Amino acid sequence: MLSRSAERLYWLARYLERTENIARLVSVHMNLLMDLPNGVEMGWLQLVRINASEQQFYEKYKSANEHNVTRFLLIDDTYPCSLFSSLSAARENIRTSRDLLPDEAWEQVNEMYLFVKNNIDSVYNRSSRVVLLNEILKGSQCFTGLLSGYMSHNHPYRFIRLGKNIERADMTSRILDLASLLLADSRSDEMRQYETILWVNILKALNAQLMYRQHVRSSVNGDDVLNFLLLNENLPRSVSCCLAEIAGCVNALPNCDSLPEEVTKLEAYVQTIDTRQTTQAQLRGILDSLQNKVGELHNRIANNWFMQGIREDAAAE
Amino acid sequence: MKSIWENYKTDRAYDELMCSEFQPRPISYRLCQYLNSLNKNDIDKRKMAAELAILEMGISFTVYSDEGNIDRAWPFDIIPRIISSIEWRKIEKGLKQRLTALNCFIADVYDQQEFIKAGKMPGAIINSSKNFRKECIGLKPRHNVWANICGTDLVRDKDGVMYVLEDNLRVPSGVSYMLENRVITKRVFPEILQNIDILPIDDYPGRLQDMLASIAPEHIKKPQIVVLTPGIYNSAYFEHAYLAQQMGAQLVEGGDLVVNDDDCVYMRTIEGLEKVDVIYRRIDDDFLDPEVFRKDSALGVPGLMRAWKAGNVSLANAPGAGVADDKVVYAYVPEMIRYYLNEEPILPNVQTYLCDNPEHLDYVLAHLPELVVKPANESGGYGMLVGPHATTREIAAFRKIVQKNPRNYIAQPTLSISTAPTLCKGKLEPRHIDLRPFILQGENTFVTAGGLTRVALKKGSLVVNSSQGGGSKDTWIIDMERN
Repeated sequence: MLSRSAERLYWLARYLERTENIARLVSVHMNLLMDLPNGVEMGWLQLVRINASEQQFYEKYKSANEHNVTRFLLIDDTYPCSLFSSLSAARENIRTSRDLLPDEAWEQVNEMYLFVKNNIDSVYNRSSRVVLLNEILKGSQCFTGLLSGYMSHNHPYRFIRLGKNIERADMTSRILDLASLLLADSRSDEMRQYETILWVNILKALNAQLMYRQHVRSSVNGDDVLNFLLLNENLPRSVSCCLAEIAGCVNALPNCDSLPEEVTKLEAYVQTIDTRQTTQAQLRGILDSLQNKVGELHNRIANNWFMQGIREDAAAE
Repeated sequence: MKSIWENYKTDRAYDELMCSEFQPRPISYRLCQYLNSLNKNDIDKRKMAAELAILEMGISFTVYSDEGNIDRAWPFDIIPRIISSIEWRKIEKGLKQRLTALNCFIADVYDQQEFIKAGKMPGAIINSSKNFRKECIGLKPRHNVWANICGTDLVRDKDGVMYVLEDNLRVPSGVSYMLENRVITKRVFPEILQNIDILPIDDYPGRLQDMLASIAPEHIKKPQIVVLTPGIYNSAYFEHAYLAQQMGAQLVEGGDLVVNDDDCVYMRTIEGLEKVDVIYRRIDDDFLDPEVFRKDSALGVPGLMRAWKAGNVSLANAPGAGVADDKVVYAYVPEMIRYYLNEEPILPNVQTYLCDNPEHLDYVLAHLPELVVKPANESGGYGMLVGPHATTREIAAFRKIVQKNPRNYIAQPTLSISTAPTLCKGKLEPRHIDLRPFILQGENTFVTAGGLTRVALKKGSLVVNSSQGGGSKDTWIIDMERN
């Protein structure tokens, strides 16, 4: 398998996962707002914060209202992490990797892209926005399903899984980071009243509500949710589970160098996190460092297998 | 309810489907009957379905423009073009004959040049050809075949005869559109396709793979085949990716390949370097190897010619094959067929005046308003003069250009090329068409059943190139014995 192709498939998967994540975040957030009384401090800006894009946002928009934030996150083609930018980048990557994937994979992504492109204005209206987001969520799942069912589970498939899980681990840790803010002692009493609703929505954002109830068998509370989303071994979007997937791919790929050991180390690091024993400030530090470690893992993968690595080797010679 | 055939007026050109305004040819009888059973609303729906399928399947081509490159949806006319299998068998034979003779000629040009020595062609034509590569002298590709993939353009004149307009021997494109056109037609007109015996075309990728495997360096059992593309900004990128995918071959760019000290070609993979045996290259000779040809080429692979000369890798088409893709050389193909094969040409050439020949040049300059004048080495329909459609000023300007460099120009009478009913704003109108079948030659020779029919969508226009407002049609070879 070409290094160039590995790189493109990896990024295809990351961009598609990002597309799906943004769609889910926005759609959960819309639900959350309907449950909260007016005036509770859980505005649209939180979504921009999750993506660490406040600066970019305020360069272009004055106020973080629904119209501006949904525009920014969903269809702003000058913001590289918007849903439409991510989807366009995914489409460009798959367009240049068609020799490795079943036809249906390209058609699926192309259809999603065309759908958003032709319905770009529908994001300004709540009900049509719901339709658009649902289309994206369905389409993403359809893509995952048809690769799983139509494609050999070979090296190209592994690079797709690798990209998907790196992106997923990153997103879960970002959401947890934001959630940990909710544990802050400084939060208002009014906010405390609605804490359960907030945690339930965090679970929904990661498709984890049902699994959480089955697993934890108690009412929803912050510590348990954090633990579950970090450490549960069976939940597809928990950090642990993403790392286990990554380990599986890395181990099966050729020339994996010291990557298996590095992933094992990261898994061990996550296992030692105990949200009950930490203060809110410590927890934020831990989650920050987790995001950095996932970032480093990405760099190692890129250097080991992609054209980027070859380019850097050539420059070093 | 108005019929889509209302006011269908065949002009002086031969119409592929209709004998007269109301009378279909026997070959298209069933199609016309079927089209008559659909009302305008039905037809609109089918047309929209086709457009949607093209968008969803992402069938596109790239147009270069000042505002960057634009990916455009493939323009497709849903009304097919039909040829009978009886006529087709003869065309197929003619195409095989022609490519065989062309390959004998190319092999001869890089060897003893017997054809020239025998006085059949002036040697100056070869020496002044910009596609003659002296680096190739004395080499022998597998089976001594240089042009493995050929796209030959055919047109039918008003006399009903199919003429060869040109042979594309460098990197002919269009075959993926031929294949996709059939896929779309199956979606759009499932009823009619089931009831007519149309020769299938979808074995092309398999045939291409077989041909490429047959030209691999001799000792290789299971050759590693790759498609070399100039990259995503090339107008035919869609086709490169499509063919690689259909053959299960790797699609590579110049940067993915490297030639090592052992003069072998390798590709950079996640497992390290992997040897490559056959390259279906979609890059022109000029850009193939910066060590030998254009030094500034960033698309090619340094050392590729070394590896090819050492016999460690096969290239399709072989470098230098383009020497026969020259409109001056074209004029000599009938003579090549007689000389190398000792046969009479099955498919006629269009009458061609070589501006290099003083007598021909005089004739051409005196008859510019009625001739088509073409540069010898361009493709894509660029830089030509269509006399009957040109202004006096354009003709005067062209006269100077031709006089300045006569070797580079040929002229042909303006053919009245055939038409076929084409859907224009909800009704059928005749539009001019051509046909590009694809011929593969390695160990064996294969011709596609039909080819890519291109149509000039503008009324009266004779230019069918997609870069200049052309579209395409599905091409049906109908088995007449069984229908």
